[in-house]
Amino acid sequence: MERFDRQRLRRFTARDAVMATALIAVLLLLFAGGSVRRAGEELNPGIGRDVVLAVGKPTGWIADRLPFSDLSHTLTGWLSPDKRLVGAGFAAAPPSRAGGGASAAVTPDWFEAAALGEPQPRRRLHTLLVTGDSLSTPLDLELGQRLAPDGVEVIRDPHLATGISRDDVVDWAKLSATQVAEDHPEAVVIFIGANEGLPMPGPGGEDVSCCGPDWAAIWANRARQLMDNYRQDGTAKVYWLTVPTARDPDRKPITDAVNAAVLAAAAPWRSQVRVVDTAAIFTPGDRFRNAMEVDGSQEIVREADGIHLNGAGSSLAADAVEEALDRDFTH
Amino acid sequence: MLFPTVPFAIFFPIVLTLSWLLMPKQRLWKPFILVASYVFYAAADPRFCLLLGAITVANQLAAVAIHATEGERRRKWITAAAVTFDLGVLAVFKYYGFFAQNVGDLLNSFGLGLPLPLLSIALPVGVSFFTFQAISYTVDVKRRLVEPASLLDAAIYLSFFPHLVAGPIVRAREFIPQLASARDPEHVAVGAGLGLIGLGLVKKVMIADYLGRVVVDPAFGVPQAYGGPDLIFAAYAYAAQIYCDFSGYTDIAIGLALLMGFIFPQNFRSPYRATGFRDFWRRWHMTLSRFLRDFLYIPLGGNRKGRARTYVNLMATMVLGGLWHGASWTFVLWGTFHGTGLSVEHALGGRVKLPAWLRWFVTFNLVVFAWILFRSPDLELFWTYVTGMVKPGPLTLVSAPAVLALLAVIGLQLVPERTSEGIEVGIERLSPVLLAVALAALILIVGATVPSQGVPPFIYFRF
Repeated sequence: MERFDRQRLRRFTARDAVMATALIAVLLLLFAGGSVRRAGEELNPGIGRDVVLAVGKPTGWIADRLPFSDLSHTLTGWLSPDKRLVGAGFAAAPPSRAGGGASAAVTPDWFEAAALGEPQPRRRLHTLLVTGDSLSTPLDLELGQRLAPDGVEVIRDPHLATGISRDDVVDWAKLSATQVAEDHPEAVVIFIGANEGLPMPGPGGEDVSCCGPDWAAIWANRARQLMDNYRQDGTAKVYWLTVPTARDPDRKPITDAVNAAVLAAAAPWRSQVRVVDTAAIFTPGDRFRNAMEVDGSQEIVREADGIHLNGAGSSLAADAVEEALDRDFTH
Repeated sequence: MLFPTVPFAIFFPIVLTLSWLLMPKQRLWKPFILVASYVFYAAADPRFCLLLGAITVANQLAAVAIHATEGERRRKWITAAAVTFDLGVLAVFKYYGFFAQNVGDLLNSFGLGLPLPLLSIALPVGVSFFTFQAISYTVDVKRRLVEPASLLDAAIYLSFFPHLVAGPIVRAREFIPQLASARDPEHVAVGAGLGLIGLGLVKKVMIADYLGRVVVDPAFGVPQAYGGPDLIFAAYAYAAQIYCDFSGYTDIAIGLALLMGFIFPQNFRSPYRATGFRDFWRRWHMTLSRFLRDFLYIPLGGNRKGRARTYVNLMATMVLGGLWHGASWTFVLWGTFHGTGLSVEHALGGRVKLPAWLRWFVTFNLVVFAWILFRSPDLELFWTYVTGMVKPGPLTLVSAPAVLALLAVIGLQLVPERTSEGIEVGIERLSPVLLAVALAALILIVGATVPSQGVPPFIYFRF
């Protein structure tokens, strides 16, 4: 403690401290003012978001009109660990008005061949991508630990705090195209839906709020873009997990809309996009529960936030995924 | 609110400026800093503020009652009641699930069914830190090492935002006297504060998070997918990651406090240059080590009650120290491992003379091995990891930046302490303007390395 006195480090003043901090703040606002605005936009609605945006909007406006942020980006952009996203984003496929187009033709992909008596040979699984938002972890670990000993390469690519309805953080249409282009997975497990419920642009460009049929339709169209990317022209299989009911009743309309949209989105590719209904496993009758019977004894299956699955819950979800995988693959 | 985030970057300059403006008027400064600290804490979850408030009030009542009581026996009882309350809070919020699950499993194996309801209770951020500080306050009052503070001072002591969520564990007698009078605005270690903040950011974001993302998380997540060379490399990488993550947090915390005129105790002193377990614990999480020594090991009898009792005390202290980190058998075994190391060292008592480099080599590798226990979520995965370390396989996780980061973290700790301190002091004496420009540039560089998903929480936030 005496170090600061012994080495005469307490030789500056409070004014120096405040001035130095203010100088840092000014330099950061000049060189990265847009980051404050972006950080605010990525926060969940609430007072914290409002405060950050109150600072971020004017500073972002100033930074946009000065050359410093471009300079900063040029000098430091190469350090970014983020993937360079490829492919068409959500904006490339804007939602259309109900009844506005011709009805889509029904193709053989709509049908589960096995259910119609046509045997489906199982392939050997080599590469599995497990992705999604925070819901997808620790499910990804569980699947990795189970399948890696069989020689399956399990690529884990969770994107925390992202959502299909919040493309300000990451555009999942582009991300899914990038994942497929990089990894060429034969199967994709996706578990997403913890950060949904944000307004999305509707057919006329106006924001559509959650969680009515209009919002669900936009979300379903976006989800369908992902499914189409992941199924890779029918050469790969997709396993899309529904979202179990959360403890907070305010989240129920979001979960209901998301789960209904998943089913609607998957309809044209029933043989390629399998919906794994975790909602039925964890919250039968739409009723939240912390604990359930696992191997004969009660175990907690949800995290304390009442949204995510814990290790035991992820293990149960992995059972359901494995069962679905086993219909299409050997490993 | 995490330190290396935009909300904190807005919060801190405002609080720092107002803090120094109000500092001469202590009647205004104290409520202000208390409210600022609670706002900081409420960003995690406003409900946790109630718990922090309850701990504060309970320990303040106990401290005042102890001070007003003459009889030693009654003082002891009041202290015991307060400590029981503090530990009870920890037990409920941190250990209930672990206890209920294990008791349930045990009884179930005898066919007796589940006796305790299973609840998933949210762990309040920093609860382990502020309950320990509360205990230190009450016990130090009982020991007459410190006078009871006013309720406002006690509340500031427990909630002061730089140390609130992950330490260092500041003792009441170190902090409360600093509240007795206004901090001197003419003597502020600005250079040291800015230097430590910069160092902490680099450690946390550029080294710890990088190693976690590219080496540690993949290997510890699915050890079955990797061969021995990768798993061995990842174990060393985790040693570097946890050091940079935790000491990075501490550096930032100490730096922020310095800018506000407060001094916190040192928490790390090149732990990977330790030449024994005892030496390690004098360098690693030093404020926890001395807490365990002063409030557990010595009250248990320390080394004053014979050889056998010393070993029991060492083991008990380290096992409980391990359990403090989290409700898991891996933490219990991690504590047991260190307790065994300390006991063996004590038993040898310096009779075996080994060269310093060999003592360092053995200690370092044993500490790294123990980190595997610490990082593993359960014993099954630990076993998978350890057995995987002897399997052949390619080196897929090794890259030049990862090796450089690892060598920098370990290598810099082996530099003679006088040399590294000399460099630090040289930087800390630079002009604040120069340091401010350098820190702004550093933040831009560090910020560019943050993935779009943001900065992961500090590892010790979970504890």
